[in-house]
Amino acid sequence: MKRLNIIMIVSAALGMAACTGQYKGMPRAEVLTYQTKATYGGLHSLAVAYAEAINAAVKEDTLHPGMYADYGVALALMGRNGMACRMFNAEMRAFPESRGMVTRLKQHLIPDMMGDTLAPLHDTANISQLMGWAYDSVMGAVPLASVASIVDSSDTAWLRMQTPVDSVQQSIRLTANQKRELLAQQQMEATLARQAHADSIAAAKQAKIDARKQAKVEKEKAKKQKEKDRKKAEKEKKKLAKQKQKERQQAAAEKKRQQAEAKKQKEAAKKSTGGKA
Amino acid sequence: MRRTAIAMILAVLVLAGCKSENKMAQFGEIYRERPTTIYVAPLNDRSLRRAVRTVEDSVYNAAVNTATKQLYLTASDPLVFNGYYVLGPMASAQLAATDGRTFKQLRNENINDYYSDLGVDAILLMTVNLWNATFNTWTVEVEYTLRSTRTGSEVMHTVARATKMLRTDFKGRPIPLREDQQFADRYGCDLETAQRCRLVEVLNQFVLKDLPSGTRQREHSLERYIPTHPEYFNLQINPDGSVMIVPADDEE
Repeated sequence: MKRLNIIMIVSAALGMAACTGQYKGMPRAEVLTYQTKATYGGLHSLAVAYAEAINAAVKEDTLHPGMYADYGVALALMGRNGMACRMFNAEMRAFPESRGMVTRLKQHLIPDMMGDTLAPLHDTANISQLMGWAYDSVMGAVPLASVASIVDSSDTAWLRMQTPVDSVQQSIRLTANQKRELLAQQQMEATLARQAHADSIAAAKQAKIDARKQAKVEKEKAKKQKEKDRKKAEKEKKKLAKQKQKERQQAAAEKKRQQAEAKKQKEAAKKSTGGKA
Repeated sequence: MRRTAIAMILAVLVLAGCKSENKMAQFGEIYRERPTTIYVAPLNDRSLRRAVRTVEDSVYNAAVNTATKQLYLTASDPLVFNGYYVLGPMASAQLAATDGRTFKQLRNENINDYYSDLGVDAILLMTVNLWNATFNTWTVEVEYTLRSTRTGSEVMHTVARATKMLRTDFKGRPIPLREDQQFADRYGCDLETAQRCRLVEVLNQFVLKDLPSGTRQREHSLERYIPTHPEYFNLQINPDGSVMIVPADDEE
């Protein structure tokens, strides 16, 4: 009996131990702290924790769904819209089922960046480094302007800071040349799109003019047909009237003839009776 | 005699195991609808707080508030572990702010636009009914409802009451479990808050891990006949850290 109890307790404890396992790296403590007391410093430490957590999770291939989106929200609340947008895009790329929700978040938090669909160009280690710099700058270690220059300089600043390869991020990271090619391709695509748009507008205009012309021709045609029909009807009417008149004349002539015949018959009858008398 | 008693106990246990429903029966709607994306809505707290007269009251209220937040934050973990896609707590809170619908509206009204606009298959609604504390026993009662956005039906409904029994020393002060102490160190909070937070974490794990695995996981169809927890149950964490689940009786 005692043994059975022990077995039950041990199995329950094992079950509990197995159940309470969390996804690695989710910064629960920072989230709870921020949710309990929302301060700007708390938000900074939360963002830094998320960056580090993402970095670690990507390396260990245990990325928690929604982690990029949470980091993006933290960044957007801090006013770092560019990086927030990239994190949202990374979430959509890593978990396509999140597209609807993340698009709504983008629409709400960073509406001016809805068209930007680029995922992070640099690896997450670099992001955490940047976040570290940003955090230091708030604490006074680095002037804020230098942080802004690092974050915003688009060409090479972040490339120099790059760290070794991450397995998942490898597919979305681009080299400087690839980035230049991508930009050129995007510009070309934009030009083509603009041209196509102008062409479509011109084509629409031309189609409108053609339609108007066609309508005019149709209208005239209909008018002519109507006139023709009217004339035809008039002609037939006249013909009918003539025929009626002819019939009337014939009837009158017939009547006269009958009257003359009747007269003759009367006279003949008179003569015959006169003779007898 | 002894052998007979053991055999009888085992037989009763086996019969009790047979009596409990399997996943296919309890979560039939989930197997029919096959949701993949779940949105955790902000929770509805119907529990009462103490009127603040002493410092202890305010400490109790703060601990309960933090634990309630922890309940919301840790709800996504077991779901993710089961293979569903769940947005994180920060993003979920922002999404709730953009939507602006109340808990009552999410529970009773048409939520089909969540499916058509956001791609959410189901919404998890949690209601905290009760927080209670006696000498060495802490209790929380939470109602979990998973509502389908496609049909608006409830695909899961569970009411669970979790009780944590604390071991006390000869002066009647609670002796913390090692896990609680670790939690307090990690989160930088007091021991009482840590104990409550761990209680809601364990409750979340036991209730939400009971759901069938996500549709993209191989286990989804394999585990159909595994016995599951009843719809109303009491979860008891004993002083030694072991967990016991007892179905709630009709009166409860």
